[in-house]
Amino acid sequence: MTAAKTQNTREQLTSAASTEVIIEFNRVNKWYGDFHVLKDIDLTVHQGERIVVCGPSGSGKSTLIRCINKLEEHQKGSIVVDGITLNKNLKNIDHIRTEVGMVFQNFNLFPHLTILENLTLGPKWARKMTKADAQANAMVYLERVKISEQADKFPDQLSGGQQQRVAIARSLCMNPKIMLFDEPTSALDPEMIKEVLDVMIELADTGMTMIVVTHEMGFAKTIADRVIFMDHGNIVEENEPGKFFNNPRHERTKLFLSQIL
Amino acid sequence: MAIIKPTKRSTIAPPLSETSPVGWMKKHLFSSTLNTLLTFVTLFLIYITVKGLWVWGIADAVWVADSRRECFDISMDGACWAGVIAWLDSIFYGRYPRDELWRINLGILLLFVWMAPLWLPRVKAKIYIGLTTVFLYPFLSGYLFSGGDKGIFMQLMLTAAIVCLAGNTIHATIGVFTGHSLPEFLPRLFGIKDVQEKTLHNMFFTLIAVSFVAVFMWQMGWGVEKIPWTKWGGLFLTLVISGVGIASALPGGIILALGRRSKMPVVRVLSTSFIELFRSVPLITVLFMATTMFPLFLPEGFVLNKLVQVIIAVCLFNACYLAEVVRGGLQTIPKGQFEGAHTVGLGYWQTMSFIIMPQALKHMIPNIVGNFISLLKDTTLVSIIGLFDVLGMLRSISKDLPWLGLHREPLIFGAILFFLICFVMSKYSRHLEAKLSTEHKN
Repeated sequence: MTAAKTQNTREQLTSAASTEVIIEFNRVNKWYGDFHVLKDIDLTVHQGERIVVCGPSGSGKSTLIRCINKLEEHQKGSIVVDGITLNKNLKNIDHIRTEVGMVFQNFNLFPHLTILENLTLGPKWARKMTKADAQANAMVYLERVKISEQADKFPDQLSGGQQQRVAIARSLCMNPKIMLFDEPTSALDPEMIKEVLDVMIELADTGMTMIVVTHEMGFAKTIADRVIFMDHGNIVEENEPGKFFNNPRHERTKLFLSQIL
Repeated sequence: MAIIKPTKRSTIAPPLSETSPVGWMKKHLFSSTLNTLLTFVTLFLIYITVKGLWVWGIADAVWVADSRRECFDISMDGACWAGVIAWLDSIFYGRYPRDELWRINLGILLLFVWMAPLWLPRVKAKIYIGLTTVFLYPFLSGYLFSGGDKGIFMQLMLTAAIVCLAGNTIHATIGVFTGHSLPEFLPRLFGIKDVQEKTLHNMFFTLIAVSFVAVFMWQMGWGVEKIPWTKWGGLFLTLVISGVGIASALPGGIILALGRRSKMPVVRVLSTSFIELFRSVPLITVLFMATTMFPLFLPEGFVLNKLVQVIIAVCLFNACYLAEVVRGGLQTIPKGQFEGAHTVGLGYWQTMSFIIMPQALKHMIPNIVGNFISLLKDTTLVSIIGLFDVLGMLRSISKDLPWLGLHREPLIFGAILFFLICFVMSKYSRHLEAKLSTEHKN
């Protein structure tokens, strides 16, 4: 009953996903030295869309999403994020980084700061919030990922799953328009994966634009509007989850799915 | 048939051989014939060394005498400490006028007062206290030590230093007793509750401004007599040179290290060549260059005093060494930390100062302190270019007529002095390391 209801809301949200384009890749190419890691990538993401990116390792999926907040620089083509073209302009990069949250495989929390300090640093300095506001804001998000009681601990004192939830909360504190997830559950013990995925599903329900690199296919089926399969720097296949998992068109996709499902 | 009873066993104390001193000695000192032999030989060597030192340095030593001759008259083979004692003031203060010694003592006392809050519990904003120690204290002590007319810049910095010292001390006192910072405590003085953060800031800055003006007015009518740098000497001079060196080498090293890692080619090449140039030249060469070559490049009539030249040389030299230490520390920080900081919108300087440096510096403490210790010892080289630092003073005792030829005792005294200072520094660094490494694990 409740599940059906959630499903319902989710579809409404999907249909409500505006037609406004928030990320646009136009023939993007990137090389690491001689290695051609992204080849002529074209991709359009609308506001509120949830996209899951999968593919074998070395296929360029992480690089693809790391180009969005310019952790990696592309050499050819154009990327437009939230109306701003990514170029060498440092101001643009700083602006985009405040609008795009990112969650990493290894959490990348700051080990010398408490959980609360981890969450307030960005809002205080990049968003110019007062200390009190930043702390109140942080507590709201810690509540949402259900670890507000750990606020004064240090990252090393938390389990992997808790640390990843803190990392999600840290990104949300910046009130981003887009959330990127780079294999958020790959470094976790199996029993902790669910708690992180639950938080991500809840986030998806709020209508956040999300791009998730993951191999959690169950998660992809539940929340994704689109699944993208990448191999050797190309987007091989791109489809809604139902069609993607039930009748993949490409041989390469079929092979990949048969190996991981 | 045996019946095994599941009795509860309490923990048993370990056998005596593990805990008693006799057991320990058996295990570590007399475990084999060779070990026993070595133990006795070593004990014998320690015995004759200590006995010899005791007889020469203390039992047969002469403490009160007016000249080396008198020493010999009293005891032929004891140490003549009387010479060191007669020169004690000079060893510590050089030829600084004896009536003005209070200025040096006050300056050193103020340094302790300034830095004490760093070690006190419950005091907030320790970073600011540390920074002001580096950037403001030198002006206060600098004026106390050298005196003379104050330029307008000196007047401003002196005022800032005094206000800051007073503020720090009040802040620390409040912190120890209430756990609050000075700005947080201010409204309570006036009995106001629930103040906005902004009003709080305004109150705080008004207070600072008012005291700044008051102190500025006061210091215009105050001054101390000028004492030329040529009168500075002894341990005091050593501490001034190495103190300025230590305080400026770390910030300088951080800047050079960041420069060397910069993405801008010009900055990187400049920093790298600067670091490599200074690192490949001995300090004594740098000192000679600074005092003889450097003035040739200065405009006509522009005279820098030798002490300033020496201090600049020591600072640059050590900044380059520390730059490499800092660079090593920076390399221990995983790339993910930079990325994590970037994704929460922190810029380059914010990332460096809040995320990277605090973690990197913690790893670097042993190396940094090691560098500081060698800096302190290296400053004795200035006695070669004609400054009378502690080593220069100790050596001039043997040229003083009543104490002609007295070499051994002053040099041993100098060794003890350096050992004490360096030992304290290295012990403190170990303590700091242990404290910081457990801090975020409690």
